[in-house]
Amino acid sequence: MWRRSLQLQVVTSTLVISVIVVVVLGTFLFGQINKSVVDSSQQSSVSDAFADRLQIADALAPDTDEQTKTTDTAKSGAANPLDEVMDAVTGSGEDGSKKRYDVLILNPATPGQSRASGSVVRSSVPPNLRAHLQRYIRNHEYGKPVGNVQQIKFPGENQPRLTFVVGGVVHVPTSGQNYEVYHFFPFNEEEELLTNVRLAIVVVGLGLVLLLAAIAYLVARQVVSPVRLARQAAERLAAGKLDERLKVRGEDDLARLANSFNEMAANLALKIHQLEELSQVQRQFVSDVSHELRTPLTTVRMAADLLYDAREDFDPMASRSAELMQAQLERFEAMLADLLEISRYDAGAATLDLDPVDVRDVVLRAIGDSEALAERHATRFELRLPNEPCMAEIDDRRVERILRNLLFNAIEHGEGRDVVVTVGADRDAVAIAVRDHGIGLRNGEDTLVFDRFWRADPSRARTIGGTGLGLAISREDATLHGGWLQAWGQPGEGSQFRLTLPRTAGADLKGSPLSLVPPEIEMRRTWRGAMTPVLLPASADGGGHDDD
Amino acid sequence: MTTIRRLGFAVAIVLAVVAAGTGCTVIPVTGPYMVGDDGTGGDPLNKPFQRMIAIPPQPNWGPEDTIKGLQAAMAAYADDPSILPQYLTPEARSKWSAAGPVKVIEDAFEIAYPTPRDGTETVLQVTLKAQWVASIGTDDAYAPTAGAWDGGTFELVKTQQGGYLVNKLPAGLLLTNSDVVRAYRPANLYYLNADMPDRLVVDRVRLRMKPTESFARTILERLLEEPTTALRDAVTTSFPEDTTIESIRWNEERVLVNLSGPLDPLDLSAEAALRAQIRHSFADNDVAKGRIIEIQVDGETYAVDRPDPADPWLDDGGDTAYFVDNGAVHFMGKEGPAGAVPGAAGEQRAGYTDFALSKEETALIAAKTSTGISMAKLAQDGRWQEVIQGTELTPPTFHRDGSLWTYDNENGVLLRYDPTSGRGPERVAAPKLAGLDVARLRIARDGVRVSVTTGENTVQIGALISTPEGLVLGNFRSLTTTEMGDEIVDVTWSDDEHLLVLVESKAGQILSEINVGDGATVGVPLKDRLASLAALDDRVLGEVKTDKETKIVELNQDRQTWVPKVESNAGSPLFPLG
Repeated sequence: MWRRSLQLQVVTSTLVISVIVVVVLGTFLFGQINKSVVDSSQQSSVSDAFADRLQIADALAPDTDEQTKTTDTAKSGAANPLDEVMDAVTGSGEDGSKKRYDVLILNPATPGQSRASGSVVRSSVPPNLRAHLQRYIRNHEYGKPVGNVQQIKFPGENQPRLTFVVGGVVHVPTSGQNYEVYHFFPFNEEEELLTNVRLAIVVVGLGLVLLLAAIAYLVARQVVSPVRLARQAAERLAAGKLDERLKVRGEDDLARLANSFNEMAANLALKIHQLEELSQVQRQFVSDVSHELRTPLTTVRMAADLLYDAREDFDPMASRSAELMQAQLERFEAMLADLLEISRYDAGAATLDLDPVDVRDVVLRAIGDSEALAERHATRFELRLPNEPCMAEIDDRRVERILRNLLFNAIEHGEGRDVVVTVGADRDAVAIAVRDHGIGLRNGEDTLVFDRFWRADPSRARTIGGTGLGLAISREDATLHGGWLQAWGQPGEGSQFRLTLPRTAGADLKGSPLSLVPPEIEMRRTWRGAMTPVLLPASADGGGHDDD
Repeated sequence: MTTIRRLGFAVAIVLAVVAAGTGCTVIPVTGPYMVGDDGTGGDPLNKPFQRMIAIPPQPNWGPEDTIKGLQAAMAAYADDPSILPQYLTPEARSKWSAAGPVKVIEDAFEIAYPTPRDGTETVLQVTLKAQWVASIGTDDAYAPTAGAWDGGTFELVKTQQGGYLVNKLPAGLLLTNSDVVRAYRPANLYYLNADMPDRLVVDRVRLRMKPTESFARTILERLLEEPTTALRDAVTTSFPEDTTIESIRWNEERVLVNLSGPLDPLDLSAEAALRAQIRHSFADNDVAKGRIIEIQVDGETYAVDRPDPADPWLDDGGDTAYFVDNGAVHFMGKEGPAGAVPGAAGEQRAGYTDFALSKEETALIAAKTSTGISMAKLAQDGRWQEVIQGTELTPPTFHRDGSLWTYDNENGVLLRYDPTSGRGPERVAAPKLAGLDVARLRIARDGVRVSVTTGENTVQIGALISTPEGLVLGNFRSLTTTEMGDEIVDVTWSDDEHLLVLVESKAGQILSEINVGDGATVGVPLKDRLASLAALDDRVLGEVKTDKETKIVELNQDRQTWVPKVESNAGSPLFPLG
């Protein structure tokens, strides 16, 4: 699925890349927002804390004029300056409004000089922050505030709160007093805001990834659909539908591809048509030539017959010439007959004269015809026929011719060894295999043997005067029956030709009752494979396929 | 390229430019558009406050610092009780208790050593000298107190590490005035009139702020308890006993009060009174004012109270002002005289003084004569009729139930005349008044509090206690005492908790508005000498007598200036009740 679907590949790649991009961008974006929110909050908190510390310092260390005033007012019952400034800083006064933060003023050296607002207590101060401030006091450094973000659990609250604590020292030079001032800024709003932002980024990122995947799917579909149509059209074209064309929409690259495809298909159809025409002309020419040659050949034959019959009256030289001429004329005639026969096939004029026939009889007749030749080559036939009749709807004349061809071929190439003829049948088909033990076929020759005028060794003379068209005609005969004619051979192992015919004319063949590879070869191969698998040759022999 | 494609391309460019332009604007300029309210419609349920943070005793502290530290630890005791014991020796720790009234002294206290010291003593006696400011009782009542506080004797013991521990100290907490201002808030609580539970009565307390709970909860928790001793048995509450607060939560527009206890969610007989108590106790203390209050019982809605300007629970019996012209009672409109009242009371007549009006619903008027107290209906057929006889009666005052009250100094009895009973005046028990010279007696508009002027210079506040035997005037406590030689000219209720007291001193007249709950006094500037007063909430009317004529002036809203209201022939300003 993955290897076959370009669309899936595009969508998956887009998903992976967009997830990476979204994660990286989201992380960066959240980092930036986080930083800016926290920074601005801390900045404003530090400013507030600084302003408050200034106010506290100012209130606790009034200048001389104000001191006089304070003394006056103190008599009339004015409040403690620490209380006053705490009221102002924390909004605890009469009309004060609640501040967003709490304040703790700690002066452990002087009684009654420590204050707090809200629920802050002394233990709310982070110990390290307190230690920092106490170090400042020891070193007489009063101007440096210290910040600390921490989860602090305040009295009366169930959960600790994220709090930004700013600590600073207010030093009162006139009295030498040091006040540790701590501001507690709640950061839960910022935390909530950032949690919402993070959630939004995650949701938007997820949406974006899905959107990109959907876009990639649509775009890929837009591109892949025409490509898929082109593939289907090419497949149909390859299957022989030469009028297959693509629809051309627009002017884009895909449209140009479709145009090119259509042009290619049109040119291909034209060329094929031209070749067919040429082939037709050639066939017609061969047919015409064959016909035209018959008449003069008949005359020549008649003359040659006369000469042949009177050969004994000739001197030996002329007598031998007459014999040769006779023999070559016979071959010429046979060749002309074969050419005419194959011309009929080419012209599509060959027809079958079907009858239900017992194939065993046909085989016996063909063997009978071949016995004379076999004797000349000292070749014996070994027949393996089933006991039951093997009935099939065939044109027995053509099948007999096929068998004759196969037997002549086996005798010619059998080098005097036995030729085995086997007949097999099953429910749908009958098969005849002709096995010789001659030089065999080289790799690839099992298909070439059916080509017209093909010979395995061009230097080798034809001993039985074959025309070179016999197997080609046999194959045409077999095809006309809807059957198969196949060859197997191995150098040194001989060869076997198998004719498979359907029992009922026109029925499709699904297999053959006989194996194309001879059984003994098959057994030997299996035996070798079981014993010494490592010694097997790298490539299979020319036995080719087996349709069993 | 086709025309359509060109057009599409152009549109895309325009859209891209617009999008980019919008993207450059961080906050786009828009509006006007409707915005949501941010919930500032109501008062918060919390009040910010600051607290004292106590510091444990330090080894380098001397006796003075130790006493100051101890006092600061007392101020912080309610929030953090762990520090104070660190100042005490084990013996003192076992004896001392924070229970009892809280003593409040002036901030500037002085530490004295009764015996000379040379710095080597291990045990030291120290006296704390301060001016007494007030005391806060166990009932949370704030009672101002004057004079020097002389109970502050402490015994300090020097420790081996240096520093001192306290071995002996006065019982209870000792706070400075600043400590109280810092950590306490005055609060008005509303209870129900025990005799007529259709009217709320205000009770004033000082509540200690708690950092871990809202002020609303502090108020409500105190409301569930008994009133202060000044109102004990005189008021009642709609909360059943053992009612507790589960939670108080709030959002922008609603406050959810979840109660628990014997309140029956199906019994709504006390629902209106309960709503009124909570609503007014919150609103009068600027808590949750303007918000909807939903009262729940164990999480189930019991009542929902919405802000309603027409509130019957603080009915004052009418707000029409009246004045008297030669014995004839007249209405006073916004612009001045608005005609005489109907009936005999509207006719000029000599010998009638010290008029008093009932609430407008019952429309009765009473006046003192040389032989007693007469009463008339404010109707066309109204005739003066003497209802109480006596020559030493105090000026009449009406209760909101329609009855007429006076104190008979001759017989030393408090008299109540109910016009609807058909009987003569009946006696009301007032044991604390026995033997006193009662100059004036005025019942507040809430029907519970009574101001009694005894002698020439003391005002006491009592309450009408509802007992099985009937009403009793009791729970007295002194409100104000003028200096010797000064004379209280007139006393009148302005609202349920404030009493206006007009004093004739040697330096001139002084008009003070005194909070009867905590004695807080605010001076009101005077322009002319006033002969009598009448007040209702923010309106204060005064009678100015000159040689030529008598006129009525009214105190401005700014409470600084007086403006003439009726220029001539007008005296004895009156409001119903009070």
